[in-house]
Amino acid sequence: MSELSKEIVGQKLPPFKFDVERGKVAEFCTAIGETNPVYTNIEEAKKAGYDDTPIPLTFQTTFTFWGYTEFWNDLGKMGIDIQKLLHMKEEYTYHKPIYPGTTVTCSLEVTDVKTGKMNMVTFGGSFSDKDGNPFITSQMAIVIRPD
Amino acid sequence: MQKIKFNDYNEDQEIPSLTVGPVKHMDLVRYAGASGDFNPIHTDPEFAKNVGLPGTIAHGMYVMAILGRMCSNWAHPAQIKNYNVKFKGMTMPGDKIVCTGKIKKKKEEDGQKLLIVSLQAANDAGEVKVAGELTVHCE
Repeated sequence: MSELSKEIVGQKLPPFKFDVERGKVAEFCTAIGETNPVYTNIEEAKKAGYDDTPIPLTFQTTFTFWGYTEFWNDLGKMGIDIQKLLHMKEEYTYHKPIYPGTTVTCSLEVTDVKTGKMNMVTFGGSFSDKDGNPFITSQMAIVIRPD
Repeated sequence: MQKIKFNDYNEDQEIPSLTVGPVKHMDLVRYAGASGDFNPIHTDPEFAKNVGLPGTIAHGMYVMAILGRMCSNWAHPAQIKNYNVKFKGMTMPGDKIVCTGKIKKKKEEDGQKLLIVSLQAANDAGEVKVAGELTVHCE
């Protein structure tokens, strides 16, 4: 495995697409114990002013893990020891709702690397419609536990 | 769902809390499947011990998802502009997840009325596992 270096800043993962399916959203809601009907009941969603059921606040985590299953391998190739990886920060900025039936274009890029006692890598993410307008933008920071 | 009104809240006011758990191993397996995060530190106790952890640990994103439930039980999800967290400690099977939040700041910016809410998820011993912030846009 290669060593982690600041040279990976600016490196992009290959862009990928994720089709938001109603069943997948329902599965996610079950897994997190989500009971707010706005996320699963179209009538409730419409009453709340939506065109359809919006995705829960953190559903986009599935975009990367299911939409781009090479994710772990790519981290390894960047010199990140995934066995020692811990999640440090996650941030979402919401621009417009995502409904079932939407195809989301996803891009992830390394935006910062800090090396030292603890190594830290930050990824910026953009989850956009077909015209490139973002639904959600994200930041994720991970640390690699020292030996 | 009702939208949160700026004038109904004061700084330091608490929002309705949410407690779940204790977290079961099965909850983590289920979350792994739903999210697609199959890092075995969350699902395979032997693997977790071999990499120096006390046992399986919850996905940070699982805890963020639970904390997010509290947020959108309170605010209309369309009002939520930003949600961010820092992961401070590991949540293990057997831990409860106690989510709380309070208004940190009320501000008006570019004609928008914003409530900034500080958030935390702790175990039932009060150890903070996740700390975060929510920005809610009010009419």
